[in-house]
Amino acid sequence: MENLINELKLKIIDALNLDGMTPEDIDNNAPLFGDEGLGLDSIDVLELIVLLERNYGIRLDSPSKGKEVFQSVAVMAKYVAENRTK
Amino acid sequence: MKAVSIPSGTNLTALYRELVGDYPKFFKMDTLSKLGFLLTEMLLQGTEGRFTPREDRAVLVFSRNGSLANDINYAKRMEDFPSPALFVYTLPNIVAGEISIRNKYEGETSAYVLENYDRQLIESIVREAFQDRITRDAIVAWIDCRSDSEWTAQAWIETK
Amino acid sequence: MTKVYCIGEGLYTPLGSTVDTVLEAVREGKSARLFDRSGYSGASFFEHIALEASRNALKGIEITPGTGFVLSTTKGNVEHIGKEDISLAASAARIAGALGIKTKPIVVSNACISGIAALLQGVRMIRSGEYDKVIVTGAEVHSDFIHSGFDCLKALSPEPCRPFDKDREGLNLGEAAAAIVLSSCHSEPSSCHSEPSSCHSERSEESFEISDGVIRNDANHISGPSRTGEGSYKCLRYVMENVRKEDIAFISVHGTATPYNDEMESVALYRAGLSDVPINALKGNFGHTLGAAGILEAIVSMAALEKGIVLPTKGFHEMGVTYPVNVSALERPASGKLIIKLLSGFGGVNGAMVFRKGGAQ
Repeated sequence: MENLINELKLKIIDALNLDGMTPEDIDNNAPLFGDEGLGLDSIDVLELIVLLERNYGIRLDSPSKGKEVFQSVAVMAKYVAENRTK
Repeated sequence: MKAVSIPSGTNLTALYRELVGDYPKFFKMDTLSKLGFLLTEMLLQGTEGRFTPREDRAVLVFSRNGSLANDINYAKRMEDFPSPALFVYTLPNIVAGEISIRNKYEGETSAYVLENYDRQLIESIVREAFQDRITRDAIVAWIDCRSDSEWTAQAWIETK
Repeated sequence: MTKVYCIGEGLYTPLGSTVDTVLEAVREGKSARLFDRSGYSGASFFEHIALEASRNALKGIEITPGTGFVLSTTKGNVEHIGKEDISLAASAARIAGALGIKTKPIVVSNACISGIAALLQGVRMIRSGEYDKVIVTGAEVHSDFIHSGFDCLKALSPEPCRPFDKDREGLNLGEAAAAIVLSSCHSEPSSCHSEPSSCHSERSEESFEISDGVIRNDANHISGPSRTGEGSYKCLRYVMENVRKEDIAFISVHGTATPYNDEMESVALYRAGLSDVPINALKGNFGHTLGAAGILEAIVSMAALEKGIVLPTKGFHEMGVTYPVNVSALERPASGKLIIKLLSGFGGVNGAMVFRKGGAQ
């Protein structure tokens, strides 16, 4: 799981152009959206949906489902581990 | 009249670090928006009361190629997994939106595409924009982004 | 101030190519979003439909050396990306050349409010006194490029779209072209600044006047509409400075049927004190025609007011926005002298425009 979490952090930093950030800067349990944590926005949610499909073959149909999955990197990693098709 | 420009091929990230450094949204922008953002920073830095919301300043962006450079970037990704973050920049007016968000400009914003850099035509369109009853001045920019490394980028402020 | 009139209107849409046929189709609740392209073999379908609509608008109107041309589009020839020069400026030059325009063409590409922005540009050109007529043409064709983009933004509805409805799931993309010819006369006929033969005076009784128009930015987010409807509200506040509420026959809203857009418009209308004014949306008939939408929907709305009706909002059944709005689900009689057209789009842009019935003060 630690490996997957780290891999996800690197992919998030790359996909969302989080300049200058390293995996160590992202807390496993910090919220990804809203004013705390990474403070990502609605386009970022959509970009993370693409990230899941592209890398793990997981298709999320709606941004609202995305918000559940993208609560934190830890939640995201658990979802990927359980649902990945590649 | 103060006018600024960014030479083609300039390292925009380095320029951003030199001028700003604390606006991470910069890294999400396409080259056209980065150029517009940096041009306005060069024009406005040090201006008093800069980030107070205002409705009386228009942002008018002109070019020949519009968002073409980013259209090509998006089209390359389209075959594979289309990127929503790239798609939103496939419009010539997004750069004006980025300038508005940064500076809290709630007035008129528009993007015009012309056959070539025609200063006379640009001046007359700007004068026409001053028919708006609230607009008092305008940030005017010619940003023709031919690719991510080749462009003409200049901006100035015109007053009614 | 110089008054600016719509002296010619032309359409080229999947629902028909005359204003009358399109109006009747909308009254009957018909919907068609894409053209049947069989039989077309030219180089640019985009330029083809833009030309057809322009020519339809120009029937009986002469192009003078002082006639201007403004093109409204978001993506023009983007379906040919990678294969040829898809520059919007090149398209505009070819269309203007084919129409015999002598002045320099101007493209307004302001996302989904391009139609209003282009009409506003045309109005201002007339008011500047440098043009005696301006043709404002809006066109958009469907492409994989545009489809894939809206798809990855999760903005597309799998079903026919339902503006303002509680079950709305997003927009449908459409394609169309529409054109309006603008002309002027000073308020005093004797000072009409163009030659009498090209002046609208013989038509001023029935021509609609574009009496006001405005663009405002949310300054909030490049793709998400403002939660407070900031820019749209500011647009309404601006045009209401010169409009009596009781004169509004209806407001033709943007009504894309995405959850956020329609909600945002309800907030803006509420804040502007216009919750009880009839509104309608035409995206259920045409889909979202992007750069054509403002001009297409303005023409159909003017035709409706001429007939004395508020058009139905196809797809709307049950109220699905938080703030009160007076959606016309079905056709109803219109009372009032003018229409307000609203649009909003990416880049935080919002626009409003006032179309006043001929002779109305």
